[in-house]
Amino acid sequence: MFAFIARNRTLLGYLAALSGPISATILLIPFREAVNSTIIALAFLLVVLFVATFFGSRTALVSSCLSVIFFNFYFLPPYHTLRIDDPRNWMALFAFFVVAITVGQLSATAKRRAEEAERLFDELQEAFERASHAEALKRSEKLKSALLDAVTHDLRTPLTSIKAAITTLIEEQESRQIKLHPEGRREFFDVINEETDRLNNFIQGMVELAKIEAGALNVRKNWGSVQDMIDSAVKRAEKLIGSRHIIVDNERDLPSFFVDSRSLSEVVYTLLDNAVKYSPADSAIRMSARLADAGMIEIAVEDQGRGIPPGMREKVFSKFFRTESEEIHTTSSGLGLGLAIARGIVESQGGKIWIADGNDGFTTRVAFLIPVGDDEI
Amino acid sequence: MEPKKILVIDDEPQITRVLKSSLIAHRYDVRTAADGDSGLDLFRDFHPDLVITDLSMPEMNGIEVCRQIRGISEVPIIVLSVRGEERTKVEALDAGADDYVTKPFGIDELLARIRAAFRRAPDDKRGAQMETGDFIVDLEAHRAYVKSTELHLTPKEFELLTYLVRNHSKVLTHRALLSAVWGDNFTEQTEYLRVFLGNLRKKIEQDPSNPRYILTEPWVGYRFNPSE
Repeated sequence: MFAFIARNRTLLGYLAALSGPISATILLIPFREAVNSTIIALAFLLVVLFVATFFGSRTALVSSCLSVIFFNFYFLPPYHTLRIDDPRNWMALFAFFVVAITVGQLSATAKRRAEEAERLFDELQEAFERASHAEALKRSEKLKSALLDAVTHDLRTPLTSIKAAITTLIEEQESRQIKLHPEGRREFFDVINEETDRLNNFIQGMVELAKIEAGALNVRKNWGSVQDMIDSAVKRAEKLIGSRHIIVDNERDLPSFFVDSRSLSEVVYTLLDNAVKYSPADSAIRMSARLADAGMIEIAVEDQGRGIPPGMREKVFSKFFRTESEEIHTTSSGLGLGLAIARGIVESQGGKIWIADGNDGFTTRVAFLIPVGDDEI
Repeated sequence: MEPKKILVIDDEPQITRVLKSSLIAHRYDVRTAADGDSGLDLFRDFHPDLVITDLSMPEMNGIEVCRQIRGISEVPIIVLSVRGEERTKVEALDAGADDYVTKPFGIDELLARIRAAFRRAPDDKRGAQMETGDFIVDLEAHRAYVKSTELHLTPKEFELLTYLVRNHSKVLTHRALLSAVWGDNFTEQTEYLRVFLGNLRKKIEQDPSNPRYILTEPWVGYRFNPSE
């Protein structure tokens, strides 16, 4: 029905413009002796107002004119003539005429303006949404390309050493322009070997991180002993340790916990690896495990290295971070993706991991909490 | 003959390790630095004949290193860049670097750039006559020859050729070329450059569509190769 109204708006408007005053007249004629002509005039005005609001100014004009005629003919003595005897009624009629026209035009204009304002508001809102969407898209594109740059930099760096080393060796073979000492030659072989491993580790790390982020990490939980898990990590880290010594300081009678032991062992290994990398030879590394409150086990690795400044302690857990100059660097320079992966693993098992100052002569303490898992059974 | 001294600045220890060993095997005297600041200190003590610096280093980046070295010396600088970093490369060249090598690179490519840098005569040879490769440019008589054939060049073409010959074998950015020949107000008009170099190619190249002398360095500029 509304569609019908919309399509035939003008037609309906004129219909209303005509029928309005007619209806008003028919309704009011029985009362014309009893009621003041002011009331009659106001009634007609109401009709004009109605027509103006819903059907616009032109129809309001028609309605106004018709109202004036009917008001005169049916309601101003002598009735049923257009003659008006009382000069005061001339004034009234004239005033009515002016007011009717004015009211009609004003309300039509007001309605039109309101509609326009609403339309403009909608357009503005749409434009704003489009702009902020485009802005967000641009920012995410910029971020993506900056991340991509950071990753390709980390992939190209080992390749650079490898390429430079191998082409030197090839040149020695082919051109005889240079002659390398055995130690010199050996150094190129070592670099190629080490950098290949580095490249592989980096790729491996990226894949693991991608899995963590996609939630595709296969978490297989089993009841296991905290001691065993730590022992396997320490054993794996044996060859890294060198001249440092590891102190294992676990609480006695730790409960078994329901976790993915393999990946947690990986986390402990990473923490040990970092501790070794950043602490001097002959220093101590302390591993501890204890029961914390709320059904959690806390495992910590402490070292005597240079320490991590408080401002960096959150950043080192993300795979990329921003420097003050807003450049993006991968955390791989030095720490590798290990901590990012560690966090991913720990959090996927309901725990949390953080860095704090060490105690008792240790500078850095990296600790994580893992739920014992009683409530999962 | 005294071996030439090279300073290598790169924050990646494996890269400096390899470059040092390889360049020493090629009979250069090499020192290395792991960042811009210590690189500049070493520059002042070591007085190298050539500097190789990485572009993307945390803290002081390669461009700043170029700027600072250029501020105190005319020594040739080669930058190590990554493919796709065209804008940084151009910035480095405009900041004073002479040439670039893209990582990863074969050692032969780096060595060729080093040799070219050493071959370029210092600017005190601004004599009346320049002879390089297949080209002779007689500044007094205002004549130019390629392989003993005289070239008929317009004044601007002559200026352009002179600049190319004087700065042969190294990469020249659009901005550097435009600034040298048309002045600093025209450094955006790469169209001019293309048209003039196109005309120059027609006059000096055997096969203008396969240029051997005026080589294009995509996105960066051009390189003038004085012998075929």
